[in-house]
Amino acid sequence: MLRRLADLPLPVLLPGLVALVMFVPALHANIVGDFHVSRAFLYAGLLVLLLVALVALAIQSQSSRDPARGQFRGLVLVYLLLPPIMALPFHWAVPDTRAFNAWFEMVSSFTTTGATLYDVAGRLPQSVHLWRGLVGWLGGFFTLVTAIAILAPMNLGGFEVLDPRSVGWARDTQMRLTRLSDPAERLTHHALALFPIYALVTLVLWLLLVLAGDKALVAAMHAMAVLSTSGITSQAGQVALNSGFTAEVVIASGLMLALTRRSLPGLRRLQLGLPLWRDPEVRLGVLFVAAVPLFLFARHWMGAVSSETMNDALSGLAALWGAVFTVLSFLTTTGFESQYWQTARLWSGLEAPGLLLLGLAIMGGGVATTAGGVKLLRVHALTRLALREIDRLNYPSSVAGGGRQARRLRGEGAFIAFVFFILFAITLGVCNLALAATGMAFDRALVLSVAALTNTGPLADAALGSTNGYADLGDGAKAMLALTMVLGRVEALALLAFVASVGWRR
Amino acid sequence: MKVIICGAGQVGWQIARHLAGEKNEVTIVDNNPELVRQATDAMDVMGIEGFASYPSVLERAGARDADMIIAATHSDEVNMVTCQVAHSMFAVPRKIARLRAQPYLDALNSDLYRRDHMPIDVVISPEREVALAALQRIAAPATFDTEAFLGGRAQLLGLALDEECPVLNTPLRQLSELFSTLRAIVVGVRRGDRLFAPEPGDQLFTDDRIYVFSHADDMKRTLELFGKATTKQERIVIIGGGNVGLAVARQLESRTDRVRVKIIERNRVQAERAADRLERSIVLHGDGMNINLLQEADIDRADAVLSVTDDDRTNLLVSVRAKQAGAKMSIALVNDPTLVPLMGVLDIDAYINPRATTVSSILRHIRHGRVRAVYSIGDSEAEVIEAQILSTSEIAGKAIRDIGFPEGVLVGMIRKGEEILRPTGDTRIQEGDIVTLFCLAGDIPEVERLLQVSIDYF
Repeated sequence: MLRRLADLPLPVLLPGLVALVMFVPALHANIVGDFHVSRAFLYAGLLVLLLVALVALAIQSQSSRDPARGQFRGLVLVYLLLPPIMALPFHWAVPDTRAFNAWFEMVSSFTTTGATLYDVAGRLPQSVHLWRGLVGWLGGFFTLVTAIAILAPMNLGGFEVLDPRSVGWARDTQMRLTRLSDPAERLTHHALALFPIYALVTLVLWLLLVLAGDKALVAAMHAMAVLSTSGITSQAGQVALNSGFTAEVVIASGLMLALTRRSLPGLRRLQLGLPLWRDPEVRLGVLFVAAVPLFLFARHWMGAVSSETMNDALSGLAALWGAVFTVLSFLTTTGFESQYWQTARLWSGLEAPGLLLLGLAIMGGGVATTAGGVKLLRVHALTRLALREIDRLNYPSSVAGGGRQARRLRGEGAFIAFVFFILFAITLGVCNLALAATGMAFDRALVLSVAALTNTGPLADAALGSTNGYADLGDGAKAMLALTMVLGRVEALALLAFVASVGWRR
Repeated sequence: MKVIICGAGQVGWQIARHLAGEKNEVTIVDNNPELVRQATDAMDVMGIEGFASYPSVLERAGARDADMIIAATHSDEVNMVTCQVAHSMFAVPRKIARLRAQPYLDALNSDLYRRDHMPIDVVISPEREVALAALQRIAAPATFDTEAFLGGRAQLLGLALDEECPVLNTPLRQLSELFSTLRAIVVGVRRGDRLFAPEPGDQLFTDDRIYVFSHADDMKRTLELFGKATTKQERIVIIGGGNVGLAVARQLESRTDRVRVKIIERNRVQAERAADRLERSIVLHGDGMNINLLQEADIDRADAVLSVTDDDRTNLLVSVRAKQAGAKMSIALVNDPTLVPLMGVLDIDAYINPRATTVSSILRHIRHGRVRAVYSIGDSEAEVIEAQILSTSEIAGKAIRDIGFPEGVLVGMIRKGEEILRPTGDTRIQEGDIVTLFCLAGDIPEVERLLQVSIDYF
């Protein structure tokens, strides 16, 4: 029975799972006594389950011709298919909203972007907030599983930097060497291996946050948001956290997981064979998290800041921590702001740190984590290449060391990273133009494009220092942003590699 | 002594020549009948054709009563197996093997080459010996030859004298009186084609090439005395990134003073291998004869250029080219000893002969008595021997003036306890002292006799 279920294609299997998850907010709403919301989720869940069962029976005898590619097609379909299904109970539960807005909200949640149209306090029932958080959490989990089970074997999603010769193609030898050569089986295997850990870490974070003094629901939302780097919170005013310092420490430690893929089980073949402290992603991530706050901290004395009030040691430390937390949060494309971020900005005299946050979000977190952006491994490859080229200016014939892996990373790896970067920039530019065409100001269009493409929804307000959010956008802009979010999640390069190898070869 | 030498290649040949010249019973084993025939024709040795590691071949070569086996074939593995067979089947007491591959050498510090594991008493590695020689040359830039003795506390320096030398035309006796605190002594002089051990009354002239023993602490003063400036070697260019070049570069990197090394290597794979193993050095890929590449390596500001490719002619030409382009000093690796006279004409400052260095290091394990080091000078014309004096030796307890050393022998620095002394006629040599001796090739048997157990001991 389980076996037969696992054989179902992703676009059929996942709605079923989503429908099951719908019962969680239904239960929650029932307990808190919000029966209208509870019914909405219960009915939606039952309806979707019924449909899924029918479809599953109908397509049971079909089998995919090219399983690996089929899975990838499924992956893209999932991002188109799931949000409307998820929007169903949302729309029912929140009567005073349009279906289109509900869909946008769900795309944003499922791609772990966390851009919300409903950031006014009390706008949404608590259970609906929980649903947003759950969708983001599922989105993060889905991202992780697809990264390991689909993208990694096909050398996509950041892994192409390590093995640039076979972008988009699974190497036969590798596939045969791995026991789990059937993609569907692999997907199930990795999902089952990953889920307990994913759930357990979420649970631990939740407990710690509750111990740190958060309310149960807020803590759960934050735990899920941290692990999926979605930044979805039930608190009003979506960016600044209103939890204590302890909670921030807990959240920061959870965010570390988004810096490197090492925390994932089942990625053994992708290790560089280096100890943790020499892992390029960890190093680069730690460098950013250390250097940027230190720069902000030191700017207090460098800049012509004359804020007499901000001179005691305590506010200095608070500023330092605020900067560390916020940098880490935006680097992993989560988008939480520390409650000390305001202090940090005042301390450093940097009133508009938008550009800084944009830059951090574009860097992104680790490969095969839930973070978006260009990703640290690619940034690492490009940095190595840049340093190497500077050396080459001095010594055009020189040969650099570091071993075969490093050489490949600098050469073809950096090339493919550059290709990715170009695609990233083009997507960004197109989105930016499209938004500007709807009459939006250039700087806002830029920030929103980056926020969507790097899946860092809260960036919109944090970077502009506004509280506009996304609520006042037109439908065209929302649709464009939603599309960009999906592109940012699936990665343009992966999409292109898929389309090229399937369509253009004929 | 009965010695079996496996492999009639360059090293095997040289050692056979040395040992046969000293009235040892030498047998050469090689699987090339032509080489064996040439060897038996040219030298007073026995020749056996066959694979050195076959027990039957070794037995025919007389392994049963051999005192020593030297495995110097081209294959590391054959050398190892040969030593094993010689040990297990024939109980040959001393086994020397030449090993080239780096992984085998890396195992030196583990106890792989112990009697009950892989019974090799002495491992000789040509590349490593050459790298050491190259480093010594770089350390003493004004010399054409140099070697450390007495645990590095005394240095043998080969100096080519020119007009700038302030002590020309002065009897050596007078020099010792003038500079009585300088712990240095001239042990050999090459004038024209003749190499001799100078008498106290001899003088030095322009174009003499002399060998001086100096206390390691007095090296700078010694060099100044003979008109050689000492400069710090900071920029070094190495042509050829093979085992030798790489070993030298790694040694230079590990020094505390910052030496900037650039390596030029033609083979891409080899260059990448070198780049992987080095940290600070810069590896350039290309032909060392290419002037653009040499300029890229800042050849005009280089303190020393070391040409260690596997081709003699390339090494010579690159050295000349580098010198012309402005390098201060050039050192070439030269396999063919007949090319050595070209050095002066081509203005190449120093050369390294891998055969000579390998042969030297093998020889030091062959000598009788408590010989601790042997260094071969020129084309085996003379040797510098470092030996510990045994109580049974004829010279123990005698003052140097009373010892009947042959004419071609001079005593260099002496180590008494922890002290390194310059010898005078009155210096009394005691049991346990370590002496260094410069001896012309013809006097080596006599020196050996002196160092061994004396007749009247019995």
